[in-house]
Amino acid sequence: MPTVSVKWQKKVLDGIEIDVSLPPYVFKAQLYDLTGVPPERQKIMVKGGLLKDDGDWAAIGVKDGQKLMMMGTADEIVKAPEKAIVFAEDLPEEALATNLGYSAGLVNLGNTCYMNSTVQCLKSVPELKSALSNYSLAARSNDVDQTSHMLTVATRELFGELDRSVNAVSPSQFWMVLRKKYPQFSQLQNGMHMQQDAEECWTQLLYTLSQSLKAPTSSEGADAVKALFGVNLQSRLHCQESGEESSETESVYSLKCHISHEVNHLHEGLKHGLKGELEKTSPALGRTALYVKESLIDSLPRYLTVQFVRFFWKRESNQKAKILRKVDYPLVLDIFDLCSEDLRKKLEAPRQKLREEEGKKLGLQTSAKSGSKDSDVKMTDAEASANGSGESSTVNPQEGTSSEKETHMTGIYDLVAVLTHKGRSADSGHYVAWVKQESGKWIQYDDDNPSMQREEDITKLSGGGDWHMAYITMYKARFVSM
Amino acid sequence: MAPTQDPNSVGGGAKKDEATLKVPSKDPKKKDEKKDEDLSEEDLELKQNLELYVERVQDPNPELQKAALESMRQEIRASTSSMTSVPKPLKFLRPHYGTLKAFHETMADSDLKKYLSDILSVLALTMSADGERESLRFRLIGTEGDIGSWGHEYVRNLAGEIAQEYTKRQSEEASIDDLMELVQQIVAFHMKHNAETEAVDLLMDVEDLDLLLEHVDKTNFKRTCNYLTSAARYLPGPDDMLVLDISYMIYMKFEEYPNALQIALFLDNTQYVKQVFTSCTDLLKKKQFCYMIARHGITFELDDEMVADDDDREALQDIVNNTKLSEGYLTLARDIEVMEAKTPEDIYKAHLLDGRASSGASVDSARQNLAATFVNAFVNAGFGQDKLMTVPSDSTTGSSGNWLFKNKEHGKTSAAASLGMIQLWDVDSGLSQLDKYFHSNDNPIIAGALLGVGIVNCGIKNDCDPALALLGDYIDKEDSSVRIGAIMGLGISYAGSQNDQIRNKLSPILNDAKAPLDVIAFASLSLGMIYVGSCNEEVAQSIIFALMDRSEAELGDALTRFLPLGLGLLYLGKQESVEATAEVSKTFNEKIRKYCDMTLLSCAYAGTGNVLKVQDLLAQCGEHLEKGDIHQGPAVLGLAMVAMSEELGVDMEIRSLERMLQYGEQNIRRAVPLALGLLCISNPKVTVMDTLSRLSHDTDSEVAMSAIISLGLIGAGTNNARIAGMLRNLSSYYYKDMSLLFCVRIAQGLVHMGKGLLTLSPFHSERFLLSPTALAGIVTLLHACLDMKPIILGKYHYVLYFLVLAMQPRMMLTVDENLKPLSVPVRVGQAVDVVGQAGRPKTITGFQTHSTPVLLAAGERAELATDKYIPLSPILEGFIILKENPDYREE
Repeated sequence: MPTVSVKWQKKVLDGIEIDVSLPPYVFKAQLYDLTGVPPERQKIMVKGGLLKDDGDWAAIGVKDGQKLMMMGTADEIVKAPEKAIVFAEDLPEEALATNLGYSAGLVNLGNTCYMNSTVQCLKSVPELKSALSNYSLAARSNDVDQTSHMLTVATRELFGELDRSVNAVSPSQFWMVLRKKYPQFSQLQNGMHMQQDAEECWTQLLYTLSQSLKAPTSSEGADAVKALFGVNLQSRLHCQESGEESSETESVYSLKCHISHEVNHLHEGLKHGLKGELEKTSPALGRTALYVKESLIDSLPRYLTVQFVRFFWKRESNQKAKILRKVDYPLVLDIFDLCSEDLRKKLEAPRQKLREEEGKKLGLQTSAKSGSKDSDVKMTDAEASANGSGESSTVNPQEGTSSEKETHMTGIYDLVAVLTHKGRSADSGHYVAWVKQESGKWIQYDDDNPSMQREEDITKLSGGGDWHMAYITMYKARFVSM
Repeated sequence: MAPTQDPNSVGGGAKKDEATLKVPSKDPKKKDEKKDEDLSEEDLELKQNLELYVERVQDPNPELQKAALESMRQEIRASTSSMTSVPKPLKFLRPHYGTLKAFHETMADSDLKKYLSDILSVLALTMSADGERESLRFRLIGTEGDIGSWGHEYVRNLAGEIAQEYTKRQSEEASIDDLMELVQQIVAFHMKHNAETEAVDLLMDVEDLDLLLEHVDKTNFKRTCNYLTSAARYLPGPDDMLVLDISYMIYMKFEEYPNALQIALFLDNTQYVKQVFTSCTDLLKKKQFCYMIARHGITFELDDEMVADDDDREALQDIVNNTKLSEGYLTLARDIEVMEAKTPEDIYKAHLLDGRASSGASVDSARQNLAATFVNAFVNAGFGQDKLMTVPSDSTTGSSGNWLFKNKEHGKTSAAASLGMIQLWDVDSGLSQLDKYFHSNDNPIIAGALLGVGIVNCGIKNDCDPALALLGDYIDKEDSSVRIGAIMGLGISYAGSQNDQIRNKLSPILNDAKAPLDVIAFASLSLGMIYVGSCNEEVAQSIIFALMDRSEAELGDALTRFLPLGLGLLYLGKQESVEATAEVSKTFNEKIRKYCDMTLLSCAYAGTGNVLKVQDLLAQCGEHLEKGDIHQGPAVLGLAMVAMSEELGVDMEIRSLERMLQYGEQNIRRAVPLALGLLCISNPKVTVMDTLSRLSHDTDSEVAMSAIISLGLIGAGTNNARIAGMLRNLSSYYYKDMSLLFCVRIAQGLVHMGKGLLTLSPFHSERFLLSPTALAGIVTLLHACLDMKPIILGKYHYVLYFLVLAMQPRMMLTVDENLKPLSVPVRVGQAVDVVGQAGRPKTITGFQTHSTPVLLAAGERAELATDKYIPLSPILEGFIILKENPDYREE
């Protein structure tokens, strides 16, 4: 009877006797006692072959003192998980889109980047999307003409399609309707559709939407678009010659940021834009006289649109020339000092509240710095309150509309979208939209190619060179709950 | 000879400083007079003396003649030491060279004539015109006295003339006996005077290196051999082998066995290896030899002639079989404190990227999980633990199975096989971990387990042949994925073993008409690996028949490329031996003919640095082809394979590849990054890195993909921060393109391979030896990368595991006489070239002192910083046995 040693895992089992008269299965049973590995799981290797249960020892030719190797464990055999794992590659496109965190880009149909970037910017307003989704044929009021209706529907469809797909969407339907409604966009040059002014597209589209979304049936009777974007301006006209004064109110969808050589910052430009001179027949003088018009904001929109007046008509060259001047704009805009007296009063309390909340946040830091001597209780106190404020300051925009009573405007706005232009004139160059997602990430929509951007790069779009520069910026109001 | 010319003026231009001294033949007198004015009194006297001697030499009185010659000789000898200018006596004798020569002709044969011949021979050093070899002519008819007495410069000049004369006489088939006598003298002189290089040069010129054996001694044999082995790289055809042969003999003569073994391995001469073992009597040294053989990765059986004692032999065979590799590697890992397993996320370092990428994908992507599987496998290779596959399975869910099932279909093969990679070299625990997958009922998992067994056993031999035992039965299973798993596993674990048992199992598959193409392709590849560099006729026949049997459609398949490659591997580095097979390949279908041609050529001359073959391949790459021809890819790879052996060749090749990027067609541009990757594998040169980084943004996505993979290859196992940064940025740049992202991930895994402890370089022992199996593994991967889409990005991604053949720890681990790790201080620094330098020059520069075990980067060398121990191998790489220095005194 030969004696062999069996190597199993890191162990060597010495001095195992083999009874060559019995089949190897018996030997395996012997090993079962030693290792606990059931015979059917044992693999015993002898010189490049496996030991068969019914093999013949003589044929294998085991020698005394030979080393054998055994493989096998009593481990559980791996089983596939009962719930099959779903892979991204197998998912339908829509599921992937939600996975991606941002929506798809738009195909350029030939100089349509002005339209694409406008659509991408407006799409970032969730309230507009929900208003559109509520829009239906039945809700169509009589004073809306057919083409406006079609454009509204096309917008809704396009927004929906963008949300659903991963790959770039072709906005051909929307474009067709847009051109039908506004034939000026069908201008041709050398057989190609011309580049257009994005601002014009933006204004016209919003106008159409505001017309069709007036929703006569809804109880509020409000103009959804106006509620979102409309700014009421209170203007005071003053004639220096006669000393006459009059006032008027008007509603606009965007503020203008006029650019002159004194203007270095958006805020200055806005102030500049709210002051103007105009000629008007003076009833007192009986002739036209120069009036100074000063406007102040009377009511605040949820989304404040600011247009940089970068283009002016250059008579000599017969084209819209561009002002390349660098005008900085902030990520957080405070327009308190552009507001009328009444509005300022209304804003004071919410702003106080907001300051308190922010003060608490800062207070945490100062107390943490100076408060090494202070008691620990105070520290935790401050922390707790800071946490509290953190929660309250994140106002859900959706909630904002429904619970108007609790949340208040503060006159402070956060940048959410930038439409930029690159090039030397409005009818040429390239438009791109830069949109902040709900996750806080910025996406650059360059036609069909969306890409992630850093926040600090967004502020670099302020002009002063040949890089993309902001043309229209959209700010979202910051609310405070009281 | 130009007899009509005035001999005084013929010497012009022969020596550098002659031009100004050149004497116009018309009025030498005038010039001389002018010169006299500048001379100092001493010089004037010397000049006059010499002139007197010249006159006396021509005196009919032999006594006077003799005295004059003697004096002249004295003057010349006294001044031959100066190196920077022509010695004064020679200068002053110049005008009389012609006179003396003319007189010499008229002399009758006598001792005096011989004397004069000697002097003329020396004078010819500065006077003789190019190509006339007068120095040599006079030398041969002169006395046979000590040539060294005339100074070094004279001997060198003579050596040069001998070389010229030798070639001339060879072409005329004249006798060379008189020359050889002189050679003897010169060689002896050089060898004694620290000028081994010149002696070797002369002997190479006269093709009689055997002479060297008589002249080397203890003091100069090292430098001699060093020069010989380095020169071998630049010598053509059989000469290089001859040179190495000589240096092997010299090393053997002086019992420098480790070096002798190195050369034996280089020559792939088993007889020599055996001789080293039989000649050496020191058991400890033999252990060191075994470590060297193990690193080279060849299969080698010790017999009782080499080691008499049975127990000793078993211990030595264990070392050759690499059974201790895992242990040593883990010692290194523990010492460097990198045992902690790393997850793919630790490698991706997505947090360093702003905003982009990884925007919180909540759904598993099969492609990304597969990439993570590979990254995990490469990074934790050989450590035996990771955080995906070997997590201790808790009894209820068996969580270790979870990651496996996060891979889809064929992805599970790679996932299961990755366990083999993690347990690399540790056969015992590897097999027990893989065991459970054998019992799965999912074919891809079984295939993975089989492949895993192969990977675990890579480079490790075991008496029980577990890999063959386990895999053998699966070769003929029905499912082709299982078959491929088993076949590939065998190829990896038995690479280079030339195991006939496996050949008998695999060969029938090749010629089985029913076998699917992919099975045949992998069988051919595995056979190529197992018989790498063996020139085995039978295997070659089977593969050739398999190639001939393929239908037109099959030849167009991407996997078909593995058939010629398998054939090529058989002849890896075997140069002319390939020619017969290359002839046969000319009869193949034209679709594959050229591909086969290029593959065979590049494999056969891989690592030889053969310039002619480089030119052949370059010519192939220069053609602008119609679409569809694919043979330029292997030609470009071939350039790298041939040129990769030495630094100069690599640099030249990098430059010519740069040209190809500019002027080559798209199919060439796709292969260029891969060639660069091969040239600088695990050696991140900054220039190459920049080129690849540029290409990784190429508009052609296939160029970009191969550039990305190559970035991984050049940084493989280095943890190079710059490449890691580049890849990180690429991962955000390509975050939307799944294929490119996959490549980026793979490259990231490669860069951090073995947490920076491994290298893929097939070269070892100071870049002298080329491990054939390692090269085979890399080349296979590169060929697969020539067409990424159907192979690596398709369902054959596991070809990436072929890299395991090249994976080796880039460590230096010192062990004591009982083979237990021993920590000693060592200096690690940039290796410097010391070939042809006199004395004992420094071999490293800019060094730092560490204690072993240490990591060695590409181009680095270690030396012991203590005298307490003596290393048993002069090449401090891998495992080094230290012996206590008996002369060491504690200070």
